[in-house]
Amino acid sequence: MSGLLAAAPARLGATGRRASARRPDWRPFLAAPAWWLAAFVTWYWPDADDFPETALLSRLLALVGAVLFVAALSGRLHRRGPWAVALGLALAAWEVVQAKLLWLKRPFFGTPQDLLDVFVSDWRRLADSLAHSLALLGVGYAAGALLGVAVGVGLGRAPRFRYWAQPVIRLVGPLPPAALLPLAFVLIPSSRLASEALLALAAGFPVAILTWSGIAAVDPALYDVARTMGAKDRFLVWRVALPAAMPQIFVGLFMGLGVSFAMLVVAEMLGVKSGLGFYLQWAQGWAAYPNMYAALLVMSVMCSVLMSLLFKVRDRVLRWQKDGLKW
Amino acid sequence: MVNAAPLSLRIADVSHAYRIDGAERTVLDGIDLRIAPGAFVALLGASGSGKSTLLRLMAGLERPRSGRILADDVEIAGPGPDRLVMFQDPTLYPWRSVRGNIALGHDIAGRGDRDAVERAIDLVGLRGFERAWPHQLSGGMAQRAALARALVNAPRALLLDEPLGKLDSLTRLTMQTELRRLWEQRGFTAVMVTHDVEEALLLATRVVVIGGRPGRVIGDIAIDMQAPRHRDDARLLGLRRDILGQLGHRELW
Repeated sequence: MSGLLAAAPARLGATGRRASARRPDWRPFLAAPAWWLAAFVTWYWPDADDFPETALLSRLLALVGAVLFVAALSGRLHRRGPWAVALGLALAAWEVVQAKLLWLKRPFFGTPQDLLDVFVSDWRRLADSLAHSLALLGVGYAAGALLGVAVGVGLGRAPRFRYWAQPVIRLVGPLPPAALLPLAFVLIPSSRLASEALLALAAGFPVAILTWSGIAAVDPALYDVARTMGAKDRFLVWRVALPAAMPQIFVGLFMGLGVSFAMLVVAEMLGVKSGLGFYLQWAQGWAAYPNMYAALLVMSVMCSVLMSLLFKVRDRVLRWQKDGLKW
Repeated sequence: MVNAAPLSLRIADVSHAYRIDGAERTVLDGIDLRIAPGAFVALLGASGSGKSTLLRLMAGLERPRSGRILADDVEIAGPGPDRLVMFQDPTLYPWRSVRGNIALGHDIAGRGDRDAVERAIDLVGLRGFERAWPHQLSGGMAQRAALARALVNAPRALLLDEPLGKLDSLTRLTMQTELRRLWEQRGFTAVMVTHDVEEALLLATRVVVIGGRPGRVIGDIAIDMQAPRHRDDARLLGLRRDILGQLGHRELW
């Protein structure tokens, strides 16, 4: 038994040591040259047209190369090495194909320096859009998650609540929340509030259903144990049902977050005149394609970071579980 | 952990039934027992004889359909920390460490007696594993943790529902000795449901045989032998033959 307990950390330690004790690996040192190549091509080969920020781009690429070189020296580039090489080469290729040779159709395909120019010249508005999106999403999602857990607990533990709530949820829940948008804008005078409500609904439905199913699946013996020790309903809900249902609740939270992203973009495009979704639509309206790419990049980074944060929280909360998907 | 005074239990003409697929099934019929404080009573019977139900009634997890159950002459109205249950499965909370599980009763009562928890960890021999998660424990260790979780609350009666039923036979022998030692040391009233005749004879001061469907008391044997008992003791072998006979297995012996 002690062997089993000790085995897990010991095994991890062993692989870590083996990796660092290996002969010096030259492959991580390929990353820096790849980026320096991109920098050189950008700087040396004249642009096919009058593109902005070419000099800045080549300096940035060289700088990233330097950072990667230091990372390789300090041995921190083992796992991500191949990606760093590929990204550098891809940027160099993009630079050649579009900025130097203009092979792809303009204006739909921009150059790397076009994209950089958007961040340099329009970062204020991008940042402002990001802040608005985050605020809208944060409030709507948080409200939906809390409401969803509360409704799920009610469905799982209170038969009378279930009797009245279940048919309503069955009718309204599966409806794509975007379909309610026109109605919400009529009923709720503030478009911001309407969007928050729909975001909450979008996130709340999967959270409620999965909280319910998690609570329904709790081994009744776990309640018996607490009850024999004198536990009252409060303890049974907060300290038994909710922790036991937590793995399922997190599945709901992930689903809800995904639906929230979709709802956020729709709401910003159709109702709220701010945020990344609105920026996207505005960029498309003005045929400002580099701006659109920039907004897409910001949006995907935002969504990915939020997902990763949720995974981090889950890994912390569910650290008692045997294993789980690693993001 | 102080030794609390053992509880006396009185089961007065108790019958119980469950509704299964719309039909009432009587599982216990006219059970009448007095359990003296500090006794170690084994409720022995085939599976389906209602002995686990009787234990749940004593725990207060269910109310009997008719009859009364009294603890120290007070009718049991619900579960209470003076009568704790140890189930066949360890039923540890997977999100609590071993220490957290053992501290469960204290958390519920809002007490913070860390010393008692540490003493209970030592008592069942789980020192070194107090930070482990339940899924990291073997079956025997998980049952030790469940035992500590009950004992830390100094129960006046410990109700054991086939607690060793799922353990391998060697771990089982160790745990039987352990249970007997803890009972002698702590002096609680113990009621243990089991279908293992040998286990009942080794541990209990009294064996109540429950048989039939619905379950009735069909045998009641006092065993006034001191520990350690040996499983090949002639008197125990004789008792074992009697009990198996009462349970309808005379032909095998």
